[in-house]
Amino acid sequence: MSFYPEEITEYFLRPRGVGEVFEADATGATGSHVCGAALRLTLKLDAASHQITEARFKATGCGYLIASASVLTEVLQALTLSDATALPTMLESFITEQLGEFPVEKEHCARLCRDALGAALTAYRTSSQTEWTGDEALICTCFGVSERKIEAAIQTASLHTVAEVTRACNAGGGCGSCQPLIEDILDDYWRTNLQG
Amino acid sequence: MSQILFLELYPIHPCLNFLKLKIMTEQIIYLDNNATTRVAPEVFEAMRPYLTDLYGNPSSAHTLGQRMREVIERAREQVAGLLGATETGEIFFTSCGSESDNWALRGALEGHPEKRHLVTTRVEHEAVRNLCERLERNGYEITWLDVDEEGGLDLEALRAALRPDTAVVSVMLANNETGVLFPIDEIGRIVHENSEAVFHVDAVQAAGKIPIDVSRTAVDLLAISGHKLHAPAGVGALYIRRGTELAPFIIGGKQEGGLRAGTSAVPYIVALGAACELAQNFDGHERVRSLRDKLEDGILNNFERTRLNGTSDRKRRLPNTANISFEYIEGESIMAHLDEQGIYVSTGSACNSGAHVSSPTLRAMNVPYTAAQGSIRFSLGRYNTEEEIDRTLEALPGIINSLALMSPY
Repeated sequence: MSFYPEEITEYFLRPRGVGEVFEADATGATGSHVCGAALRLTLKLDAASHQITEARFKATGCGYLIASASVLTEVLQALTLSDATALPTMLESFITEQLGEFPVEKEHCARLCRDALGAALTAYRTSSQTEWTGDEALICTCFGVSERKIEAAIQTASLHTVAEVTRACNAGGGCGSCQPLIEDILDDYWRTNLQG
Repeated sequence: MSQILFLELYPIHPCLNFLKLKIMTEQIIYLDNNATTRVAPEVFEAMRPYLTDLYGNPSSAHTLGQRMREVIERAREQVAGLLGATETGEIFFTSCGSESDNWALRGALEGHPEKRHLVTTRVEHEAVRNLCERLERNGYEITWLDVDEEGGLDLEALRAALRPDTAVVSVMLANNETGVLFPIDEIGRIVHENSEAVFHVDAVQAAGKIPIDVSRTAVDLLAISGHKLHAPAGVGALYIRRGTELAPFIIGGKQEGGLRAGTSAVPYIVALGAACELAQNFDGHERVRSLRDKLEDGILNNFERTRLNGTSDRKRRLPNTANISFEYIEGESIMAHLDEQGIYVSTGSACNSGAHVSSPTLRAMNVPYTAAQGSIRFSLGRYNTEEEIDRTLEALPGIINSLALMSPY
């Protein structure tokens, strides 16, 4: 018999992804004054492929937090930024699927993981935004895709839909808020080019 | 090393209504004696006949009943002996320590409806603290005495708090979390010299661990609990000094002088009596103290970022308790890792409390939040051995180091 349920015990005694990524591209930290837990998530990203190449965590917390953060780093490995951006909303249910239902008083442990991931992704977006200023107007802030890059993709592959653009260059694949803008770019491009 | 039997039942195949009984024995190191204690074999042997062959309602007129009455009176003598009560009639059996505390406060208030003021401390056990909070909501005025960083009381503040309408002053003798002792002799003197209030002492955590002598202390009421001193849970007692005005708590039959009705729980009362006698004759207090000291020193001297919660003056602390914080580490994680190795302790971490509040006692002592989160209470007992303490000291570095490496602080 263990202090925690079997699934939690497995990760509590053998946590995965503990530590800190060297020269992290994104860091997300959260804490709870309610229970006294603290969590820091660090990510390494491949700029070209938008893939998370490494995810690590450090935590002060109970077994549920350690297990949740372990599952988070496992699922993040080799995920594209696009997938990771979509993850926070369903992360809690994903974690409980892996680890079993949490008691009510431990539910916030999974929520802390969601918040740390959200904070890391926001931090990454902000840092890519500062890099993409000037004439390279940023359309997709989730993936840091500029208008010029989207136009280039449309031209190269002769793209006609937002979905095609997303597949080609990730733009619009995150929160989706830039999809109308991509629509406009597509309209402008084909109006100009058909007329020409 | 204590032996414990774990019975584990598990189905061989989910489709089969077939169970296999797995019996295994595990070595455990029990360092949570302030939570509850193991029933002493002597206590069990004393109560056993009253669970099997010997029975009869002590209120019955027949000789079986008479015999049970004698048995209860013998137990009353044993409890009076441990507490130093001059008359056995000053001992009243209850169902638990919380009942004793509730009776003391409510009973004293009922006798003086015109008195609407109570004095207590911020570090009391829930039995007193939550009751006082409830009384406060119901219109009573409570003075909550603060403690200093070592857990000590300011006796001048106590003196200043006393008023003509103070009905009860309730303080604990030993704190359950830190083991810090309050000077009840001095407090009793101050209360009686400066007020008409009844002085109640919650001695649940102290009884059996340090000497108590109500005959030489200005205590009016004093609560104890069976399961803290190697009797089973389900029995407690309240000492009521002769002449103290106290309303009855349970109305019904004439048991316990008509003050606490309900058929006497003979086996449990016998157990409490036997446990009190066992505690009175216990000559291993110094051994328990030296084991506690070894554990406490071993941790404080060998780990960085640790702090003792409660006074470092060991004379003002229970000899069995060490409450130590491992700063920036979560107490529940430490506790769970120790648990994996068969070592049982408790923590004051908010994470571990259902309500997500860190220990009010540690908060009252101004223990920093990050330290309260990592607090571990080790509470020893008569059955702990030096080998167990050594094994605990050997287990801790691996646990603490791995958790410290994981800490983002």
